[in-house]
Formats: sequence, structure tokens, C-alpha cells
Amino acid sequence: MKRLTSVIATSLALGLSFGAQAGTLDDVQKRGNVSCGVSTGLAGFSQKDENGTWSGLDVDVCRAVAAAVLGDASKVQYKPLTAKERFTALQSGEIDILSRNTTWTHTRDTSLGLNFAGVNYYDGQGFMVSKDLGVKSALELDGAAVCIQAGTTTELNLADYFRANGITYNAITFDTSDQTRAGFESGRCDVLTSDQSQLYALRIGLQNPSAAMVLPEVISKEPLGPVVRQGDDAWFNVVRWSLMAMVEAEFLGIDSKNADKAKAEGKPAQKRLMGVDSDAGQKMGIPTEWAYNIVTQVGNYGESFERNVGQDSPLKIARGLNAQWNKGGIMYSSPVR
Amino acid sequence: MKEFKPLPDQPAPNDVVGPIHWIKENLFSSPLNTLATLLILAFLGTVIPPLLDWLIFSANWTGTNQSACTNEGACWVFVIAWSKQFFYGSYPAEELWRINACLIALVAIIIASYRLHKDLRNKVAIPLFLLLPFISILILDGSWIGLEYVSTDYWGGFSLNVLLAAASIIVAFPLSFLWALGRRSDMPFIKSVSIILIEFFRGVPVLALFFMGSVMLPLFFPEGTNVDKLLRVWIVLTLFMSGYMAEVFRGGFQAVPNGQYEAADSLGLGFWQKTLLIILPQVIKISMPNILATFVMLFKNTTFLLIIGIFEMLSTTQTALTNSNWLGGHSTEGYLFVAIVFWICCFSMSLISSSIERKLDTSHKN
Repeated sequence: MKRLTSVIATSLALGLSFGAQAGTLDDVQKRGNVSCGVSTGLAGFSQKDENGTWSGLDVDVCRAVAAAVLGDASKVQYKPLTAKERFTALQSGEIDILSRNTTWTHTRDTSLGLNFAGVNYYDGQGFMVSKDLGVKSALELDGAAVCIQAGTTTELNLADYFRANGITYNAITFDTSDQTRAGFESGRCDVLTSDQSQLYALRIGLQNPSAAMVLPEVISKEPLGPVVRQGDDAWFNVVRWSLMAMVEAEFLGIDSKNADKAKAEGKPAQKRLMGVDSDAGQKMGIPTEWAYNIVTQVGNYGESFERNVGQDSPLKIARGLNAQWNKGGIMYSSPVR
Repeated sequence: MKEFKPLPDQPAPNDVVGPIHWIKENLFSSPLNTLATLLILAFLGTVIPPLLDWLIFSANWTGTNQSACTNEGACWVFVIAWSKQFFYGSYPAEELWRINACLIALVAIIIASYRLHKDLRNKVAIPLFLLLPFISILILDGSWIGLEYVSTDYWGGFSLNVLLAAASIIVAFPLSFLWALGRRSDMPFIKSVSIILIEFFRGVPVLALFFMGSVMLPLFFPEGTNVDKLLRVWIVLTLFMSGYMAEVFRGGFQAVPNGQYEAADSLGLGFWQKTLLIILPQVIKISMPNILATFVMLFKNTTFLLIIGIFEMLSTTQTALTNSNWLGGHSTEGYLFVAIVFWICCFSMSLISSSIERKLDTSHKN
């Protein structure tokens, strides 16, 4: 017994690392890196490559925060988390930001002691069909066999949507997304339903991706965004505005290539965002050039989107809802002034 | 008297030896056997050629990305491109020697405990074994011994499976021995504590233990206090292993004849002398098959770590499969590769185990 206690005691002593309880921003500045909870692997959102480098739309949020606070987007410590442990990891202080395709819902926002700092991707459940089917809308799917992954909210949304529209369907459930895809491919079902971001990833995995298409209907709201601990407003502001700065930079037409030019000779709003004659950074307790660092090192929201999930990536997801508000989407940033 | 001359040796008649006879005897001895043989041959004939074709002949071997996989067969390019991740995780490339050093040390100590003279064996190999996990941590972490610090977030791959299993087994070995002793003890407190510990860690599924370690435990620490996730997992695995091994040891203790205890007592040996010198060697000999079976089980259990987001080999494979540049459905190749690697390791462990059993075999059986 003595042995057991001493083993545990020494192991704990070895592994303990004390962080100050005061503010996450102070901790991050002292520690010199941002500890970021990401997914263990989700195509386009948080993924590791053969060299162990992380990339993705969710990963870029953390990189933006690191660029804003520390001036170096590479100073991120990635903590891969499964869906079950993500909130605990944030609550217990193991991570500073949770950026892991987490849907912003009322329950999560109000009862977990967490705050959502914004939305970096508006997702929603959609349908994928084979082009041969000749279907143009989900409303034409009467009597269809639908492939679906068991035990997800997807199942519930599907039932609601079809019942509300008085359409009959035949659900064929699978355990994993791989099996769901195989089921669709082998023709066991006419339609595959999942979140849109997933549909595109599943589509690439098909033998012949161009034979399948994603229908325009989105039947559920899944706003995904970064999460921080409640009650740490300074840090909440930094994360929220890092995300906003990416969206705002795209709106103002600043990207990683023309950021220097915008800073030197741009319009007043562009110069202000780039930190010229602006105390936006000081007000948050981070460097004046915070937004400039984000844009030069990570890029604006549009660049990040196209690089990770859009046309420059294998996924080829259309901007859709995630376009700027003046381009038909709902991505909108409050002004930085 | 005529001298006796033995006839020269004759070869055995052709119809009782030779391959043709063997085939006749074993494969076509009755109509039913003939039928079974033919069916199995037909089955193998239809299955093996396409399998070999997929695995080897029309497989893709060269290239660096998915587009190199143009042939019909398996896309081994996937496995080759990700091999560094599969074996070492994200550990920095220029520091890989540290992982290799730990693995070599492990193998060297195992060989040493075989080859060393038996007087030295216990004095050298056992302390080395017990020190190995801690030395490995020092080397892999690096910050305490002046090497570059590598956070446990970068540890991963198959080397993590091996080292974590080894570290758990090594620490669990003495621990479980103490628990087993405790369970046989006459002292009520020690006995009840041992029973509770053993039954708890044996009775709770290892997945539940992992979740407790990764999700529940951090909530009990004061805010801002972080115990490294890998360390928590190591402790959980060690305790889980100890629970199982304690029962294996208990079985061994019970199998040692009472006469041995009495003989030791009558020689005037104290409790620890009796236990360590007389009983323990016999216990280990008796329990060896079970101990090694438990090792193999624990080694395979390390793949469960994927459910709490630690990049051991299996979860690295899953991560690789979700990378948007590799979404072409390589799951068959990936999982097959993991299966082969684990099978090779577990099979070599059972070979080693049977050789240890032969070596330890001093039984009175014929």
C-alpha cells in the first residue's frame, strides 16, 4: 500500500503544473503559447498532416488568437479532444480555447459555465444524392431510402423535417460515417444525410465523387464556433475580436498579400484595423498590430475558408451562408473602431 | 556353420511413405475428406489470387500523395506517407533518436534478463526494468536533463503503444504482487483495502477507467492545476493491470503446496525471506503463462486510448483517414496495417512467452 501511495504521490508531483488562476490572457502571455482544444480529425476543420502539422478552419481560429496575443500564429499548443471530453478540458483549464466544431446551443451556452465567442462556420444538415436520381430538391424524396449515422441529432432532425413536409422515408442506420458512405455507394439508399460539412468530406471518399451532388436544402441550424470559459471577459474579448478581425478584414478587402499596402496607404477603416492610430489592441491588453498579425500570418476569413474547406481544398465547399453579409451570406463583423 | 548375413536394408514400400502417400492418407482418405479437400482447394483458389493481387501485384507502392494511387490494388502509398506518424507520432524529427534509444533500451534489458548469468540477472535486470519507465520519461520529456523539451502532446504512434504498455506492466508488476500479498494477509485493514482495489480495477471496464482518468479526474483538482493527460492514463493503465495481475499472482500463491510454506517456516526464515526466496520464484513459474497473456491483453488495450484523443497508432490511423488530402477511402489499408503490426508484436510475445515457459519448466512431469 505504501508503494501505491508513493507511486501516485510522486507521479502527481511530477506532472503538476500550476497556472495562475487570475486571467487566461495573462497566463497565455506568460506561458508564451495558446493551448487550443481541437478535434482528433475532421477534414478541413482540424486535421493533422503527415508531418504532424495542424491545419483547418477551426485550427485557424486558434492561430489567429496566437497571432493577436503573441504576434506569432505558430505558438499554439494543440490538444486533440474527443467530443466527450471537450467541455471538461475547457472547464478544468487544460485548454484556453475550445475550437472543435462545437454547435452553439442554448443548453451549452447557459449551463456549462462556458461562453461561445462567435461563429466561424454556419453548418446545417443537408442531403447528398446520386446525380442519376435526377432529384433537384429534398421535397422530391418521397419514399426514399435514407442512409444515416445512428445516435446523432441528425436522426431527429430528419424525422422532424420529413414529418413536417408529409414525406415518407425509410431510414437505414449505420454506426460510423465510413459505413454510411459504403451503404450509399453500394446503392442501399438513395440519399445520405449528415451535416453539410461532412457531406462534402464523405463525397470525396466516393469512388466517383462527381456522380453525387449535395442538395440545396439545409434542414437544421448548426452554428459552430470557438468556446471559452465563462467569467473571463478579457480573454473572451480577445477570442471574439480575433475572429471578428478575420471577418472584418475580408469585408474591408484586406488579405495576407495586400495587408502591408492597406496599412500604409489604405482607406481609413483599413488603416484603423491594421493598427494605425488605433488603440483597439491596447483596450484588450494585446499588441497594437494584433489584426495586422492575424491577417498576415493566418489570412482573412475568406482566405482561411477557401484554403481549408473551399475551392483551394479538396473539399470544395461553397461559401453559402458563410459568405459575407453583402455577398449573400450571414458572416457579419461588428466594426473595429 | 554358415555365417549369418542380414539382408541389406530395404527402402520402405512406396505405398506407405512419400508425399503421394501422405496426401492419400491425410487429404483423400475417405469420400468425405476428398470432398472437403476439394472444396477447400476451390475456396483458396478463388480467394487467394485476387487477395494477393490486391495486396501486392496491382498495389501502389511509390508516390507521396493520393493521386499516385492509380492502380486497382491497395494504396500502400497512404501507409508509407504516414509511416512516421504511425510509428513516432508528431515527435520532432531531429529528436527521434530519443524514442529509438528508449525502445532499444527496452529490448536490451529484455535480452539481458535472458542472457546474463543467473547470479547477475536479478541484481542487474530487475533494477534496470524498474528504472526504465522513469528513465524513458526523462529522456522523452527532456526538460529535466537538458535536452529540448518535448510536450506529451507530440508523443504518439506505435512507439507510444509499446512504451506505455511496457511502463504500465513494469510498474504494475511489483504493485500487483503487493496487492496479491495483501489479499492473502491476515491483517484486516490491509486485506480489505487490497480486495477493494483489486475488485474495483478488475470490475470496471477499462474504457470507463479511461474516461474517469480523462474527464472526471481533472474536475477534482484545484482550478489551474493540470496533471498531464498521458500521465493520468499511465496511472489508470497501471492500476488496471495491477488488478488483473494481482489475481494471477493470487492463483500462483494458492498453487504453491503448503509444504513449501511450512518448510520455509521450519528453516526459520522470516516473512519476507520466505516470500521472496521460497514462494515468489515458484509463484512466478506457475503463473508465467497467465502473466504473459495479461501482458498481451494490456498491450492491445493501449489502442483504447483513441477514445480519449491520445494519438496512439490506431487513433493516428483514424486521424490520417480524415485528412482532406487522403479522403479517398483508405481505411482498409490503414486498419490492415495496424492489424498486421499488432499481430506481429503479439505473436512474437507469445513465442517469447513459450520459450520462457520452457526455460522455467522444472516440473516433475515427464
